[in-house]
Amino acid sequence: MPRSLAGDLTDPEMAQPYMKKDDDDDEEIEYSPFFGIEKGAVLQEARAFHDPQLDARRCSQVITKLLYLLNQGETFTKVEATEVFFAVTKLFQSKDAGLRRLVYLMIKELSPSSDEVIIVTSSLMKDMNSKTDMYRANAIRVLCRIIDGTLLTQIERYLKQAIVDKNPVVASAALVSGIHLLQANPEIVKRWSKEVQEAVQSRAALVQFHGLCLLHQIRQNDRLAVSKMVSGLTKGSVRSPLAQCLLIRYTSQVIRESSMNTQNGDRPFFDYLESCLRHKSEMVILEAARKIAEMDVTSRELAPAITVLQLFLTSSKPVLRFAAVRTLNKVAMTRPLAVTNCNVDLESLVSDQNRSIATLAITTLLKTGNESSVDRLMKQITNFMSDIADEFKIVVVEAIRALCLKFPLKYRSMMNFLSNSLREEGSFEYKKAIVDSIVTLISEIPDAKETGLLYLCEFIEDCEFTYLSSQILHLLGNEGPRTSDPSRYIRYIYNRVILENANVRASAVSTLAKFGALVDTLKPRIFVLLRRCLFDTDDEVRDRATLYLQTLDGEVALGNTEKDVNEFLFGSFDVPLANLEASLRTYEPSEEPFDISFVSREVKPQPLQEKKGPGKKQLAGAPSPATVSAVDAYQKMLSSIPEFSGFGRLFKSSESVELTEAETEYSVNVVKHIYKGHIVLQYNCTNTIPEQLLENVIVYVDATDAEEFSEVCSKHLRSLPYDSPGQIFVAFEKPENVPATGKFSNVLKFIVKEVDTSTGEVDEDGVEDEYHIEDLEIVSADYMLRVAVSNFRNAWENMDPESERVDEYGLGVRESLAEAVSAVISILGMQPCEGTEVVPKNARSHTCLLSGVFIGDVKVLVRLSFGLSGPKEVAMKLAVRSDDPEVSDKIHEIVASG
Amino acid sequence: MILAVLFSNSDGNILIERFHGVPAEERLHWRSFLAKLGADNLKGAKNEELLVASHKSVSIVYTMIGDVCLYIVGKDEYDELALAEVIFAVTSAVKDVCGKPPTERLFLDKYGRICLCLDEIVWKGLLENTEKDRVRRLIRLKPPVEP
Repeated sequence: MPRSLAGDLTDPEMAQPYMKKDDDDDEEIEYSPFFGIEKGAVLQEARAFHDPQLDARRCSQVITKLLYLLNQGETFTKVEATEVFFAVTKLFQSKDAGLRRLVYLMIKELSPSSDEVIIVTSSLMKDMNSKTDMYRANAIRVLCRIIDGTLLTQIERYLKQAIVDKNPVVASAALVSGIHLLQANPEIVKRWSKEVQEAVQSRAALVQFHGLCLLHQIRQNDRLAVSKMVSGLTKGSVRSPLAQCLLIRYTSQVIRESSMNTQNGDRPFFDYLESCLRHKSEMVILEAARKIAEMDVTSRELAPAITVLQLFLTSSKPVLRFAAVRTLNKVAMTRPLAVTNCNVDLESLVSDQNRSIATLAITTLLKTGNESSVDRLMKQITNFMSDIADEFKIVVVEAIRALCLKFPLKYRSMMNFLSNSLREEGSFEYKKAIVDSIVTLISEIPDAKETGLLYLCEFIEDCEFTYLSSQILHLLGNEGPRTSDPSRYIRYIYNRVILENANVRASAVSTLAKFGALVDTLKPRIFVLLRRCLFDTDDEVRDRATLYLQTLDGEVALGNTEKDVNEFLFGSFDVPLANLEASLRTYEPSEEPFDISFVSREVKPQPLQEKKGPGKKQLAGAPSPATVSAVDAYQKMLSSIPEFSGFGRLFKSSESVELTEAETEYSVNVVKHIYKGHIVLQYNCTNTIPEQLLENVIVYVDATDAEEFSEVCSKHLRSLPYDSPGQIFVAFEKPENVPATGKFSNVLKFIVKEVDTSTGEVDEDGVEDEYHIEDLEIVSADYMLRVAVSNFRNAWENMDPESERVDEYGLGVRESLAEAVSAVISILGMQPCEGTEVVPKNARSHTCLLSGVFIGDVKVLVRLSFGLSGPKEVAMKLAVRSDDPEVSDKIHEIVASG
Repeated sequence: MILAVLFSNSDGNILIERFHGVPAEERLHWRSFLAKLGADNLKGAKNEELLVASHKSVSIVYTMIGDVCLYIVGKDEYDELALAEVIFAVTSAVKDVCGKPPTERLFLDKYGRICLCLDEIVWKGLLENTEKDRVRRLIRLKPPVEP
């Protein structure tokens, strides 16, 4: 948004006179009072503030000009600001009320620095004790804006008096100042509690409002005090509607917190909220209805709130309609049935002038509508869509997708609507939302697949977005060959080769190849088309065509069977791009070619929250396992140690596990490196005592509880100086490709030598000592790599159904469904796919999809179906498919023993 | 918190703006967002008809008063209902100072007074005074008349 014309003189084009059309004289030019205003000139004018005979009118005009400049984004240099500030303070001499009011504002606007504040504090403190009420009120506000903590203690006494001042303006000024001061000086403001409590009982509505706000902020961390405050005030001493709204919020907070603590479901003060539904102020009624709707109440308790909200839907005031429909929209997300009664009123809001209201009405209807009303709704929405902005359209499209998944039988009309929307003009985000919706419907509703694919084909005939065209071509390649008549799609795909840019052409070539591979009858025709692509102007397109022609013809040795060709064409690229990039960066050109099979397949999980304790920081100098390149760093480091070089390829390195408490003398964590027939434990040790040097540091590992492991070698640390981390390695042999588990107890043994911290000299004599650290476990999840698949359904279907093993488990009473899901994921150590690790709130059942690679490079896919039976009793059905049926059995064993 | 009070002319040029708790680098985003909102919806709107929108977690109430557009943005306790109170206080005070719904010229003529009114109504993101008669007296440093 440009700033106002009159003020911006740096741009000559902007310095246009203010034009005003007049009925009598069309050409009359009227100038803005600030036309031609310039900072330098105004600063000159400000010298008038120093005149011994002050001209109040002129000074007011200059201050107005200064305010205008500041509002136009003009900035004053430090020197200019100081000069203006000093000049303004001279104006305290004037008795003119209007000018004094402007001076107060100007000082606040200039926000003087702490060394300048001193100039004005005496004048302000004088005003603060003035007999003129308004001087007091304004001086309080200005002082509170510019002072720091030390000065605050000096004026605290006056502020406390002001809070209970008879004049409501003075009291409000002190209370609002208190709200601001609380941020920086909580301990001082908290001392005013008694006065603030008195202010809450004031007869003046605004004083009550400001007082309540401050009182709550003072007590917000004391649950009992808030509860007491609510209990006292709900008995009916609050007059101001604004304060009443605050009280409703605080009350609902108390109800929420107390229902969390007491399991019996008692809700104190709920009657008060209900009574507010009959208040005379609309604002209070809406606030109460909104809070009741947010609570976990019975349908009967919710009904009165819904009724008042319904009444507001037909209000003449747009703000009330908006507030009501927004609340109903939220209710409809979790309890659509409760809102169904409002459907008629909501339908009339679809044509509301305010598009925000109309969009909320539509999306609410999409949630509350039943199967029979879908067709009528779609008709209404079609008329509505043409005159709303894209951001609203996206909301509608997403709501339609959800509705379609709810009523799959009605997919025709909704799919039809989406395809019509695709034909209209629209931004990338809007088109992407529609395409994503159609893709979801295709994958969830089998009957919708062929219609959906054809709609998408029509769309790419006239699509200006490369990203979307490529995405759709990829989908066509995967789904098209499996339809009843694959040949109908070829025309659309080949048109892309003729008409589009190189990116889309390359995608189209890949899609054609997929049809050639899966549909034998089409193969000769695909060959003809691919051969034409050999003359394309773009390298990538030609290269792809050449590669696919030879692959499909069997000339390139990708393996001997048709299955291998399909795997090449359809198999997902299972190397995470970030890992590949990191590996390529560390690859040094040599005789040995780059081998993609050495790139780690493991997807590093996104950390959910930074929740590390102070002592749990990553050791300085130790490799950070959280970064992708760390996997390569480990591989490189371990293969450079001769003892471990014969272990082969590193299968997996775990996250580091802390073996000591935070802030202990010695801090130790361990990283588990898994090989086919070995494991290497890497102990990262740090000495946190400046007065000690440790020598000959070893970890003595007792593996009696890990029968399948036998120690083969260990590498000790010669010395461990203060704050300089070092690593100790212990290697074990275990049966090849077997996920052996066990428990290891660890003791750190070393010789400790005294260090003189002032000179750095080390005592020659040392003492042997040992330090017990926590036990360590190797669990089944350590043998599982978190490897994502791009399309779970495809990957699942491509796996041999014979390898599938299904069983059901009772998980007992769990805290929540989400907790059960995350527990099973962590037992298996697999990668959740398609966001299925997130369990919707209040869900009674959930399906979670996992993928991974088990030791021995065996791909594993898991479908977990969870259900709540009885109160918090969780049951789970586990279906596993893998390349090796024995591994499928193994996964069941892991879950059964976990 | 009342995050912003912003007056602009019908072309979207800023006349007065007050931000509270909005980092400097986000203000440009808000200016252009509000200008677009006004350009899309305020043309043809009735004088002082309230329009409402929400963007992420904030609410926006805006209107046209004479030739001047007024936007108020708030979050948390300042939802659309509380903002409607604020905007009502501001529009009444502006009309009171100007004597009628202002043209841009009239608004600029009364610029100083309007700044003072705004200072009385919204103080650092909190609603302080609501009644126009009281505001009229306060900007002249006269105590309010008790009802």
